[in-house]
Parts: sequence; C-alpha cells; structure tokens
Amino acid sequence: MREFAQPEVALAAIGLAMLVGVYLVAVLDHLAGAVVAGEGVGWRYAFSTPIRSAALLLVQERRSTERPDVFGWALAPALLVALAAVALAMVPLGPGMVAADPATGFVVFSAAIALVMIAVYLHGWSPNSALALHGAYRYGAQALSFQIPFLLAMLATALPAESLSIVDIVAAQEALWNVVRQPLGLPIYLVVGLAVSFWGPLNLPDATDLADGTSVEDSGIARLLWKAARAALLVAVAAMGAAGFLGGWWGPWLPGPIWTLLKTLGLLLVLIGAGHLLPRVRIQRFVMVAWVILIPLALANVFLSGALLL
Amino acid sequence: MGLRDVIARVALGAPVPVFAVSGAGAREEVAGLRLSPRIELVDTPAAASILLVAGFVPSKLSAALAAVHDAMPEPRCTVHWPLGADQGQLPTAPHAVLVGPDQQAVEVLTHALRALLTGTRPSEPAIQPDLDPNPWRGLGPYGQGGSGMTGGTPYGRPLAELAPDRDGLRLDLLPLRIGPFFPRFAAGLTLEVTMAGDIVVEAGAADSPFVAETPTFTARPGLQPFLRALSEPVPLAELELARAREHLHWASAALISQGLPALAARVLRLAMRLTPGDASAVDSLAGRLRHLRVPQWSSSGVGPIGRELLVGLGAGPVARAAGLADDARADDPSYVTIGFEPIVTHGSDAGTRWQLRLAEAAQSLNLAVRAGERRIRPVGRIESPRGRLEVGSAPFDRLRPLLPAILSELEWGDAVTTLVSLDLDPEEAGAVSSSTLRMEAA
Repeated sequence: MREFAQPEVALAAIGLAMLVGVYLVAVLDHLAGAVVAGEGVGWRYAFSTPIRSAALLLVQERRSTERPDVFGWALAPALLVALAAVALAMVPLGPGMVAADPATGFVVFSAAIALVMIAVYLHGWSPNSALALHGAYRYGAQALSFQIPFLLAMLATALPAESLSIVDIVAAQEALWNVVRQPLGLPIYLVVGLAVSFWGPLNLPDATDLADGTSVEDSGIARLLWKAARAALLVAVAAMGAAGFLGGWWGPWLPGPIWTLLKTLGLLLVLIGAGHLLPRVRIQRFVMVAWVILIPLALANVFLSGALLL
Repeated sequence: MGLRDVIARVALGAPVPVFAVSGAGAREEVAGLRLSPRIELVDTPAAASILLVAGFVPSKLSAALAAVHDAMPEPRCTVHWPLGADQGQLPTAPHAVLVGPDQQAVEVLTHALRALLTGTRPSEPAIQPDLDPNPWRGLGPYGQGGSGMTGGTPYGRPLAELAPDRDGLRLDLLPLRIGPFFPRFAAGLTLEVTMAGDIVVEAGAADSPFVAETPTFTARPGLQPFLRALSEPVPLAELELARAREHLHWASAALISQGLPALAARVLRLAMRLTPGDASAVDSLAGRLRHLRVPQWSSSGVGPIGRELLVGLGAGPVARAAGLADDARADDPSYVTIGFEPIVTHGSDAGTRWQLRLAEAAQSLNLAVRAGERRIRPVGRIESPRGRLEVGSAPFDRLRPLLPAILSELEWGDAVTTLVSLDLDPEEAGAVSSSTLRMEAA
C-alpha cells in the first residue's frame, strides 16, 4: 500500500521544506563565495543577507518591457516552483515520512524535471527581449542533451529495488548504497543535475555573458520568485540525489530523517561549490559531452547494474 | 507603519544593488567596489536600485545612459562619482547624489539606498518618455500589411529576415546592438551584431566614444604611466607594475564573464595590493586557475586569430599568443639590459591569451624588481598592456577592423569570451587621441 500524506499536511511540509531549502541555498552560496574569494566568513551577515535582499526585491517595482507576454512572464516562476515542489514531494525524509509515494514516483519526478524546460523557455520568451530569448534557446539545447542521461542515471537506481517508487529505491539500499553499487551513477547525476537546475558551470540560460539571460528583464518580486524557484529546484535535485544514490535515510547512530537532511546538505555543498570553482561550460561542449560521453556511460551503468542483479 | 514600511526596514541592511556605468578614469575604482560586501554590482539595470555613473562619460552616450536609467525599477536613484571628470552635462545629473572627493563611494551608495527605502529621498522619474520610438508602418490593426511589413522598420527596429545559416537551414537574422554599457565589455564598446539563432553572422564594433571629445579627460590610474611614457621619462619599474596590475584587472573581469565572481574578487584583491615582490603569488594564481581548468574549459579553441592577420599590428598579448614576438619593449635598451625577452606562445585562441597574460603579469613583476632606478626614454611609442601605443593610434583602433572576421560564425558565449580575451579598450584609444596628448607629444 503506497503512502500519501493528507493534502494540507503535504502542502505545508513541502512549502516548509522549500522555504528552508531556498534559504539554506542562499546562505551556503554566500558562505562558499566568501571562502573562495578569500574573505573572512561573516556568519551573521551570511544568515541575514538573503532575508534582507529578498525584502529589498519585495519593495522594488516589478517593471515591464515593451509588449511582453504578461501571463507567460508571471506563470514561468510559478511553474518552476510547482515543478520543484512536485519533485521534492517524491523524496522520502524517513521511513513513512513522504508527501507522496506513488508506485511511479520515479516517473513523476522525471516528468517534473522534463517540464522544467517549458518554465525556462517561457521565462525567456515572455519579456520580449533578445538576451532573454537567447537564454531560453540555450536551455532548450541544454535540456535536449541532459534528459536522456538524467533519466538513465535515475533509472539504474530503480533496478535493485525492482520498483519505480522512490521509497522502495531507498529501502533497497539498506545493505549497500547505490553510490557503491553503481559508481558511475552519482557523478553522471550530479553533472546533469547542475544542467537541470542551470546552476554554476551549467547556468547557461541565465549566464553572465547574457547579462542574466532569461532574468535580464526581471525586477522586484519577479526576480525574487525566479531566484527562489531556481534554488528550490537545486534542493529537489540534491534531495533526490541523496535518496537515489546515498541511501536516503539509512545510516548509523542518527535518526533516518537526519541522515536524509545531512546527505542532501552534502550534495548541495558539492553543487554550490562547483558553481564557485568551475567556469561556464560552452554550450557546444556540453551538448557534445552529453551525447558522446554521458549517454553511453549512463547506458553502461544501466547494463552493468542489470547484469549484477542477474 | 504599513507592511511595506516593515519590509523596507528589513531591507535596510541589504547589499546595495548597483548597476555601474564605468566611464573613462573609473575602471579600477568601480571594480574595487566588488570587494565590499555592502555593494552588489549587478549585470542588468533591472536588478539595480542605484545607477552609479563613474568617471568621464561622453555626451554622445547620453541617450544610452538615459535608457539604462529608465530601465531600473523604482525606487531608484543615481549616484555620480566624477573622479575629476565633469558630469554636469549628463541627463542623470539633475537628480544625482554626488560622491565628493573626500567621501567613500560605498558610504554614499549605502546612504542613498537607505534614503530611498526610508522615503527621505524620492524615487527618480524617468528621463525619457515611455513611447514607441517610431510608429508601426503597417496598415492593419496589428501592424500587418502595408509596405513596412517586410524589410521595414517597425517601431524603428529592423525586422528579422530569413537567411541560410551554416547548417543549411533558413533562420531569422536578428540585428542587435550590444553596448555601450554591456557589463562584460569595457565601457564605451558597442558591438553591432547580426545573429542567426545563437550564432554571430556579422559583427563589428563602433568607434571609441572617447575619441575627439573636448575637453579631454583624465585616463584611469592604470593607464597613466603608459600615457606619460609617450612624452616623458618614466621609471621602468612603475610601468611594469602598472602592466601587471592591468593584466590582473583583465583576469578578474574575464573570470566574471565566466561566471566566477568569487575567484574574480580574489584576483582583484591581489591586483589592488600588488607589489613587485608578488611574482610568486601571480604564478601561484596562474597555477590554481590552470588546476581549475578555467582557461581550458571556457576558452580553449575559442576565437583563434591567424598570425597573418596580426603581423605588424602591434596587438601586444594577442599577437604574442599567436606566436609573434611583437613587443616594442624588445627594441628598448632599458629593457634589453635587464634581460627582457618577449613571452611567445603558439595557440592563438582565447585560452592561450589567458595564459600569456598571466605569464606576462609575473614577468612584469620580475622586471620591476630588476629595473632598479632605470627610466625609459620617450620615443613616441610604448608597449601598453594591450599592445603598441602611439599618439593617435591604440590597439583598439587596429584590432577593431578584425572583429568581423574573428567573431563571424561564433556562438554568442564564444564571441563574448573572444572579445574579452582581446581586451579592447576604447578609453585607451580615446586617451591617445586627445588633443592634450598630441600637444605634449609635439
């Protein structure tokens, strides 16, 4: 029997998880930036800056452009937040602690990730601005390249569990985590995870060479929502990585949910650190690496995982 | 106290989002703001609350400046930081807060945001009217039909037209003007580009807006030793230290264009406190960047320039990265006596230019140590960090005609990487064209 939380409980839990997660991403990003820059780490400043910056965006005007697609522009961040929420809802915090555990949880998560392209494209298309549209096109090329390796890397985690339920996938890692069982899986997942959440070296749609790309015309609450939605997506990717490859709630001494949170935090640190240390990857290079290297590696990962189970 | 006031009160300690227009004489000062945690230099005016206009901005850029100002959301304000320049004629001047000679820019910017949030300073009105620049010329209610539908200029803009691309498809060609305040380019650089999808089909840069301006302006401190060296003896150590600083400032800007602002801050801090004894620190920095594969990932194989295009051009690091020992210092006895030899590499792409500049920064510091009290004698030309500098001729002027050939067929990100690697500097071009300098040289 699959478990589903009461809708209001699920909504509250996912909302809280996203709020805390987005805040943590902002704090960690600030701290990681300070460390890489060789500055002193101002803890108090790091914890207060995200709140103050968010407040500043809230009091800013939400300006418009010449003949934008107003509804599309407003919808894009909401869609991205919703997709991140759906993805996060599939991740179990501990045994029996999950917002939704459909038998096809893996499919639901993958569907949410696939639709991120719609949100990003809408976000770049709607302002009627050349650099924003350029960013949208870039994400199209990026998404067409990462979808297959992303799905294959995740699919391999379903083989030992013989189930598409994320809870079952975590439960099947009691004896051996997938990161050990499928050593290729997590690296592939993290690379494409950066691409999915367009973060760090694979932040091509909102890149600095496009002066923020799809966000170039965003101001006020629109900018705040888009930044929050991107951070929420990163949290969802990290949380699913912890569940799919690092054994989710399994671990000694500490309660299961603490392990899930610690592993998610660890992956967040890796993803955020990569954003401060690795330069922007050229789109041609990423497309080539995805099709020529990541897809064959991900396929090999699936075949090897299947063979080991025979 | 309403909800907005409560939120505004929370926002009081936020880093100040500043869109900086860095005019002539202000590049280092504006870059230095990145080191303050209280300031956030943003890439688009839409993300800014404050427009900072620093240094000399020519009046021919007034319309672009007004457009940047009006693209900021309210509440907004402008801060003028003259740094010795006259900014009175700019369209932002009537409402601007001024950074006085004895004031800290960070303090003024912070106070300006505080005043906006507490309501003690009103938000600035738009400078330009919010109107279409030209009427749509079509006949129908949506602008369709009529002679202006194809090949016309609806609202003053050229229509995208189909043309074959490099893959044999027919894509829209979109003409764009990027600049003069695009954050990845030096201030004043305007790129006229025609795009087919994400590919540059045609590109060219407009002339430096700093040329032929009267009265002349004071160039930024990093350029001063090279400009002085055109007409007076200058200590060799001073020149080489300035060269190393300019290269590190360039590296910092290049890191930002690769999405690495934290590493850029580290490089910038080194540039600002650089001494001749820091050659090992620069070497260590270059090694760390190589270890992180920064030049390789982002720039390897990007924007190659054939040697034949650069022969005799005096294009400095760009030419030397392509294998040409083109360096005015090699002919100078002061340099020859301390064992100077140009560093030459053979890659010719943007990644090679990266590595060459960092190697030259360390070399310059070593030269500065060996130079002692030597001064170079003025001979009417000098090797600046960007190439051969003469009165009336700068590397910017000589590299600009190559841009159509260099940028054509590049993806936009690669085009930006290539342009950054060329270190085009309209300010330097304007400085050597100034009438004051001509008189001094004469």
